[in-house]
Amino acid sequence: MAVLSIPVERYELDNGLRVSLSVDKTTPVVAVNLWYGVGSRNEREGRTGFAHLFEHMMFQGSEHVAKNRHFELVERAGGSLNASTWFDRTNYFETVPSHHLELALWLESDRMGWMLPAMTQEKLDNQRDVVMNERRQRYDNQPYGDWDEYMQAMVFPDTHPYHHTVIGSMDDIAAATLEDIGDFFETFYIPNNAVLTVCGDFDPESALGLVERYFGEIPRGEDLPPLPGDPTLEPSIGRTVREVVEAEVPLTRVYMAARVPPYTDEGFYAAEVAASVLGTGRASRLYRSLVRDRRIAKDVVTFAFPLTTGSSMFMLWATGLPSVTPDELETALDEELQDLVTVSEEEVARAVALTETQFVRGVEQVGDRADMLSMFDRYFDDPARLNSEVDRLRAVSPGDLKLFTEAFLGTDNRAVLAYVPKGAA
Amino acid sequence: MMAASFDRSEAPVPGPIRRFDFPRVTESRMANGLDLRIVRAARFPIVTAMLILDAGEWAVDSTQAGLAVLAGDALEGGTARRSATELAEALEGIGAGLGVTTGWDATTVTVSCLAERLGEALALMAEVVLEPTFPAEEFDRVRDQRLAAIQQRAMNPSTVAGDHAARFIHADGVPFGRPVAGMEETIGPLSGDDARSWLGERYCPGGSGLVIVGDIDGGEIETLVEGCFGAWSGTVEPSDPVAVTPRHERRRVEIVHRPGAVQSEIRMGHVGVSKVTPDYFSLLVYNTILGGSFTSRLNLNLREKHGFTYGVRSHFGFRRNAGPFGISMAVETAVTADAVREAMFEVKTLVNDGASADEVDAARDYIVGIFPLRLETTSQLASRVGELIIYGLPDDYHATYRDRLRAVTQKETTEAGRRHVRPEEMSIVVVGDADEIRAPLEALELGPVEVHELA
Repeated sequence: MAVLSIPVERYELDNGLRVSLSVDKTTPVVAVNLWYGVGSRNEREGRTGFAHLFEHMMFQGSEHVAKNRHFELVERAGGSLNASTWFDRTNYFETVPSHHLELALWLESDRMGWMLPAMTQEKLDNQRDVVMNERRQRYDNQPYGDWDEYMQAMVFPDTHPYHHTVIGSMDDIAAATLEDIGDFFETFYIPNNAVLTVCGDFDPESALGLVERYFGEIPRGEDLPPLPGDPTLEPSIGRTVREVVEAEVPLTRVYMAARVPPYTDEGFYAAEVAASVLGTGRASRLYRSLVRDRRIAKDVVTFAFPLTTGSSMFMLWATGLPSVTPDELETALDEELQDLVTVSEEEVARAVALTETQFVRGVEQVGDRADMLSMFDRYFDDPARLNSEVDRLRAVSPGDLKLFTEAFLGTDNRAVLAYVPKGAA
Repeated sequence: MMAASFDRSEAPVPGPIRRFDFPRVTESRMANGLDLRIVRAARFPIVTAMLILDAGEWAVDSTQAGLAVLAGDALEGGTARRSATELAEALEGIGAGLGVTTGWDATTVTVSCLAERLGEALALMAEVVLEPTFPAEEFDRVRDQRLAAIQQRAMNPSTVAGDHAARFIHADGVPFGRPVAGMEETIGPLSGDDARSWLGERYCPGGSGLVIVGDIDGGEIETLVEGCFGAWSGTVEPSDPVAVTPRHERRRVEIVHRPGAVQSEIRMGHVGVSKVTPDYFSLLVYNTILGGSFTSRLNLNLREKHGFTYGVRSHFGFRRNAGPFGISMAVETAVTADAVREAMFEVKTLVNDGASADEVDAARDYIVGIFPLRLETTSQLASRVGELIIYGLPDDYHATYRDRLRAVTQKETTEAGRRHVRPEEMSIVVVGDADEIRAPLEALELGPVEVHELA
């Protein structure tokens, strides 16, 4: 029996906006979630970080909503709100007490249709400063904070749109202009490049009417331009790429990455299960070997990035205990990757059981559930796919893992990044 | 620009409000004293069981600082019936993770799993808590991981700031002045024997509570719990709150020198107030206005007006005993003193002039409205019910929570703030490049400025 049976109705407005409605009256709250099909992969040269900076500007008001008013209204309604920018998409979301659904739809539609009249140089200057401080706080003033900057550059060639990070470079953030804001808005913030999900306590008929009222008159935009650079990619890196970084870090840490099939490919499920067998829980391979038995690592982490363009990225890292060298960590990780050709039924069952619990916990809140529905709508044109996702993971066999390991986890498809404490190299 | 077909300039009028009731909690006490609370929440086939032990770090002697945390960590080391690996396999085989968190007031052991596995999960939880063996090899490994984590904290500007602020705010001997997980010198000598004697004293059914939330049938649960925890015995006597003393009476600036830092991590705070203060609800409103929401005075000034920071928050560390009140932010090095000046301005202005009627309304509406949003998951509900056990709060606490918030007045808000926020007594801790920030900070004339080397 399927563990999830989340109801969802799907519509499309004349302007191309896809709308998913998922009713759940358990708690009097409702989530509104929008995925725009734009992310760091759409940024042109010299404007890395722009999609994220733009996301900040979306909170700076729109024609009918003054600066700070967006936050004030949602908070006063007793709601929570935020947004995030990722390689392939930008999402905006709020959860509000259910009687404030219309407020959320009004705010989201106003910035989808009428953002530009509210843009000023002063607001842009302010948010550029905020974003630069975000970069300092998360990347520059944080041990290992810039690992993904190195990793993406090693895994993806400089022609590929995943070569640079979402946060972007300081110089590029500084270079952004109001004209860029206008171009980006006109190109990407159009109803036919967005999906909208409403999830929680509402009446579907009246909600659909409100969606039509607030979003229906926003005109369809032009088809999106092709991605910058060259999004095609060999399925493998072709060799081992390595880099050693001497930095202000307390302990040696080794990151490893591989190109794997994109999230939208059937082959990605094996990547997810492989990541779980390797690193989820204390019975996982890396925890057992590197942390518990050999006592060389303080912690281990594995995951498969859900990326859609050409390839996705399989990631793992291990933080060494004091005096452990990067070579020791790398050798140990390599052995575990090679051993992954032989996985027992029990290990796969454990990995799937853990993932299943996590998956159900991941949809308990209407906000998280709405985000998942938007994702499945955006990537698969099928929000209801959320209900059968666990079954797809369950279908992965030890034999699939063997094939996956042989195809993607060898030394011919690997990036190795080592951080070593300053002065210890 | 595109014209709208109707007037979009007014915010929509809210629809009819739908009633929210905190889910019903079924309470019982087992013969051995264990306080059992069950909440049925059947939206998803999932359950969270949370065991709350009166085994917080506050009760640990300073010579063994970190013992409660380390003992909690080391529970994974195995039981009388299972090795560490067998235990992990058993738990993860049913899709259950075992989480142990230890704070100042409690150690919490949590499992979440599909509802159909609850019986197995509870039995394993009981085995972990009642029959841990702390084999030397496992205990030493977990201790080494904690020691490495301490090294990591010492190089992360944010945790360095937090740890230093705790130390500068509290007098010697106050547990809150040390990191909750202890120090190298106190953790290093600890052994499995220390963990065993800690458990003997503090892991007892009397004084502990078990909260189970999810898609479950209440009647069967009590039998299940009796089977798993019935043989457990002992009691922890509740301790009375004690006064928490500050290190300094007057405001000071403490710079922790980090040469070349691109940002300064700033903490401004002083000894705060207990969770059971009669001012609790007024302070929730007050803090929302000062720095507890996006539209707070601090955030609108420091982020949305000046762009000094990615975000700034203020926070009351409500604990059984008076936890600290504080403001935290990371700012670009060049604007460090400006940011401190503006933050101090906002704190003083709110204390002196009080909160406006509209601000109090808005803050109250926000925290009243957001209450059900934080009660959607089985683990959120379990944590909320668990608070009643940790802080000895009355059974109707959640049922009346929003009414008590709604009853907070403008006058009560301002007066509670005046009692519990004291800008003249703040320790201002700045982790950053002293060569760049010392002179501008001294020019603010906030009090003595001292520079400390990073340990």
